[in-house]
Amino acid sequence: MADTLSADFVVVGSGIIGSLAARKLALAGASVIILEAGPRVTRAELVARFRNSTRRSDWMSPYPPAPWAPHPVYQPESNNYLMQAGPYPYAAEYIRQVGGTTWHWAAHAWRNVPNDFRIKSLYDVGVDWPMTYADLEPFYQEAEEIMGVSGADNTGSPRTKPFPMEPVAEPHAMRRLRERLAPDYEVVTNTTARNSRSYDGRPACCGNNSCQPICPIDAQYHGGLSADAAQAAGAKLIANANVYKLEHDEKGNITAALYYDPDKVSHRVTGKTFIVAANGIESPRLLLLSTSGKFPNGLANSSDMVGRNLMDHPSTSLTFDADEEVWLGRGPQSPSSINFMRDGPFRSEHSPYRLDFTNISRVDGATRSLIAAGVYGSELVKRLRYSAAHEMNVKNVLEVLPDPERRITLSSEKDAMGIPKPEAHYSIDDYTRKGHERSQQDFRRIAELMGGTNLRFSKEGEFANNQHICGTLSMGDNPKASVCDQWGRTYDHENLFLAGTAVLPTSSTCNSTENGLAVALRSAAHILEQQGASTGVTGEAKS
Amino acid sequence: MSRALSWLLRHAAATLTLSVAFFAVASPAASADADLIARGKYMATASDCVACHTAPGGAAMAGGLPLATPIGAIMSTNVTPSKQNGIGNYTLEQFDAAVRKGVRADGKHLYPAMPYTAYALLTDGDVAALYAYFMNGVEPVETRPPETKLPFPFDIRLSMAAWNLLFLENGPYKPDPAHDAEWNRGAYLARGAAHCGTCHTPRNLLMAEKTSSEMAGGDIGFWHAPNITSDANSGIGGWSVEELIAYMRDGQIAKSQAAGPMAEAIDHSLRFLTEEDLKAMAVYLKTVPPVRDAADTQPVFAWGEPSDELAIIRGTALPQDLDTMSGPQLYDAYCATCHQAQGQGSFEGGLPSLMHNTALGRENTNNLVMVILGGLHRQPEVLMPGFASELSDAQVATLSTYLVLHFGNPAGKVTAAQVTTLRAGGASSTWLIWAARIGLAVGALVVVVILLFLFARTRRRAGQNEAARAP
Amino acid sequence: MTPLSEQVDAPNLVRRGLLAGFVCAYTASLIPWALAQEAADADQGAFLALSAILAGRQSLDAAQAARLYAALVAEDPGFPASAKALLDTIEQRKIDPMQLQKILDTEKSPLSALPRRIVTAWYMGIVGDGAKARCLAFETALNAEAVADVLKPPTYAYGAYGSWTRKPV
Repeated sequence: MADTLSADFVVVGSGIIGSLAARKLALAGASVIILEAGPRVTRAELVARFRNSTRRSDWMSPYPPAPWAPHPVYQPESNNYLMQAGPYPYAAEYIRQVGGTTWHWAAHAWRNVPNDFRIKSLYDVGVDWPMTYADLEPFYQEAEEIMGVSGADNTGSPRTKPFPMEPVAEPHAMRRLRERLAPDYEVVTNTTARNSRSYDGRPACCGNNSCQPICPIDAQYHGGLSADAAQAAGAKLIANANVYKLEHDEKGNITAALYYDPDKVSHRVTGKTFIVAANGIESPRLLLLSTSGKFPNGLANSSDMVGRNLMDHPSTSLTFDADEEVWLGRGPQSPSSINFMRDGPFRSEHSPYRLDFTNISRVDGATRSLIAAGVYGSELVKRLRYSAAHEMNVKNVLEVLPDPERRITLSSEKDAMGIPKPEAHYSIDDYTRKGHERSQQDFRRIAELMGGTNLRFSKEGEFANNQHICGTLSMGDNPKASVCDQWGRTYDHENLFLAGTAVLPTSSTCNSTENGLAVALRSAAHILEQQGASTGVTGEAKS
Repeated sequence: MSRALSWLLRHAAATLTLSVAFFAVASPAASADADLIARGKYMATASDCVACHTAPGGAAMAGGLPLATPIGAIMSTNVTPSKQNGIGNYTLEQFDAAVRKGVRADGKHLYPAMPYTAYALLTDGDVAALYAYFMNGVEPVETRPPETKLPFPFDIRLSMAAWNLLFLENGPYKPDPAHDAEWNRGAYLARGAAHCGTCHTPRNLLMAEKTSSEMAGGDIGFWHAPNITSDANSGIGGWSVEELIAYMRDGQIAKSQAAGPMAEAIDHSLRFLTEEDLKAMAVYLKTVPPVRDAADTQPVFAWGEPSDELAIIRGTALPQDLDTMSGPQLYDAYCATCHQAQGQGSFEGGLPSLMHNTALGRENTNNLVMVILGGLHRQPEVLMPGFASELSDAQVATLSTYLVLHFGNPAGKVTAAQVTTLRAGGASSTWLIWAARIGLAVGALVVVVILLFLFARTRRRAGQNEAARAP
Repeated sequence: MTPLSEQVDAPNLVRRGLLAGFVCAYTASLIPWALAQEAADADQGAFLALSAILAGRQSLDAAQAARLYAALVAEDPGFPASAKALLDTIEQRKIDPMQLQKILDTEKSPLSALPRRIVTAWYMGIVGDGAKARCLAFETALNAEAVADVLKPPTYAYGAYGSWTRKPV
């Protein structure tokens, strides 16, 4: 043991959720240590890596895994970090570096619709959340004010306070969609953590069209800013600290986090309260790794629910050529959606979905397709321009129900640090497939309304993944069926809390970050309240 | 300078005992009418009173903004009509003395952080309007900022009188019959209320504006207020009247973007002026006698060509030590995103070109470094984020060198040591607002020091004589 | 970027000739500007001619051509010979660029991978495959230049906030 560190709170994971929970605790006066497995990386390095990348459509290419804290990558070939047990591959992507995975995201910051909290009661599927929309509403607002969220009101999620910002200006292509799809469909501007004006010292969006893999101007919020804010609030952040075990005392209280530095020297960090916020795969992995005589199945796992109920948002899509020039690639990548299928009685039968329009430039993809097809000479330029101008794409974002058989376990294989790798057990069930089938009529109608030709449906039976890993540490009122209570406190350990998208009991149809962050801010407020500290909901992040 | 000094020596005794004389101004009607108050408000805006008398986030005109000087903070005062804490008890005559002569109601001299040397040009009518506005249009605020307490000997406010006698213009603006009404309005505003020369006119060794080099550019703290004479290369001779109007109103045109204290002047003051007044000022500025800086062999907005060095960095990893990133690597990572690969700016110029831009056309590179560190802000928008927390001094120097070589005047040089200095000085934000005023205060203090030196020498000589006489 | 005529390559100066000297009648007809273009030597001349035919461009940047050529040769020392062979094939059989890949694939030609490598180099700025791939150009890759009047390469700002609401022209 090279040294001993100690704090009131030890937070494992410096992503957007871990960092902002840490910030809130630090602002209340607590001492906080954040342990991050990966390295610190600057925005400039990421921009440079992207522009020098040989795989510019592979958004993980600017984020090579650190040898001492790997994350899964699949190109140019899989590093086999996330082992696949099937039956359906779960090609999850996430980033282990200071700030975590929201360094690259489309910054969607949707709230659930109120019925998402009660799908068991209303539709007899999935589970109900241990809280209501109203319980979470103030923390949605808090999350939105910290991140700087812009959005439109017509999305089915009621508000008590206005959005911090107006919706981001609508790209011409999305305006044409909105105009031509009306009145059949209402196309709305997405709710995103993207600046429609200067906010908290960060500029308004300049339409760089690289939200993924990196917003080069910080007009989009990300976890790197959260980590900065946590440190500004007084939290101590230790990078390259790969936590491999949590220790406990006889009563089952957590006493220490053990981490390896890049040289595999072990360090020990003690604390009064521990918060695991290491993402939907690494958090359950850490609990499963932390076995002991008293807890042979790992920590917080008396219910055997750790790692189970793995959910995400599978997507199928349609690409077509509109009959007019729309030129995707001007403005942010993901500006507009159709929301009408996010809730309804049909949820008893099939998955709800949001329909999502991309505005990602088609140039890179079209070039590769044309070269693959052997299109050369002047025809290449002509067709490239045609595709860049006319191509459009719509995808569904489908809900996956919690199922204990979809899960993260420990693999028998070990990573470079000698720690067992995570293993995914995943499947696409009929509920989700039926949602996909229902959405095909919308795909066709949308293409028809846009004068679409050359319709290219994604391959039947293939679902793209959206990297919204959740459910693996589900919260719930029943200690036998869930890992933690509504405050994120584990049922088995008084001083062990869980934060992150892993605690979400269902995936609904919204990108998981806003939900995970709001729940974590609610947990942090509860922790402070329990400890008699001030819980004031903080406004805009002043970092 | 030497003339001024000898004048000073001749009049030192007189000035030290100078008593403050009020001069009469016609009394206004007892109750100011709405038009007069509105006119006063407009003139207060043109005079940028809020820049100093409203602290960021504080109540309007309630003062309390400290000007950090090397010898202590000068505190702006409450100028709301509060009778206890503000200027509510001021008569018009007392108000006038403060604004145009730098003398408080109690007879004490104001430190010339207050630009009364420029306000001296205000007409009686505008002073009366300002008085009506401050008494009737400003909410009284019952807070009193701490008194300015400078250490001895700098607390001798009376010695300001000496400086005033040297440099305070006598009487309000007198229209020049050789020019039309528009020009005269412009001259009145530019030299008076808007006090352009406070920053843009260089100062002599006593920190007074050099009237012979009006608007030829001055250094204010760490910023450089550029030459805005009518010179075609160094000044604004090559700007159209329309460009000058747009610049003063919006703070940005293709060839130039306002930063630092100028951005604040636009935010607080210039953008609220009428198009007619901005045009009048532009017309006047275009006639200010040209002064040329030797380095400006072509217009400062005419340098640079589209170019890049991307070929040598593509496919090359960044160095382990980011301090050793090359110029093109730094440009690629921090600038090219908005200003584009060849510095050409965005379609339609919404994000400005770096070529043909005054930002890179001057030999003095302080503003360039200050903008890279602090960014460009036009309330409430961040037009360009600052990179102080991301770029090291070495990186800023490397990057700046790339910028001036590709897009600017190669005579401009930036060193890491310069960045270190500017970073340290520019860290505090409040002084930016005061930067325009700092020169005056320093000048006043120089006078104090000279006087004290003379006084002490006289005393010492007297003492030596005494000693010599002693048995 | 350096125009071809300004390319400085002193040691090879004497070996340099007009591109037209390295191509024959049919390929020269595909490259109307060949008469005005210089190439360092016959090998690079063949690469330039092939590039012009496959990329379908009225002009190609000389400095970029030199970088791509060097990278392609570094990746495959046999590249110059293959390029010459492919150029000869196109010349002798008067193959239209749009038919080229189909013909090479049908005949299982050993040259069938070559057009894609050259076009990928020019249009994507990438030479080589998989982990060995190298990026040589991004902003100046021809797929960016082909749409540069309407789109910026990703990460480059389109413009000031909201500028993207306008109809592209």
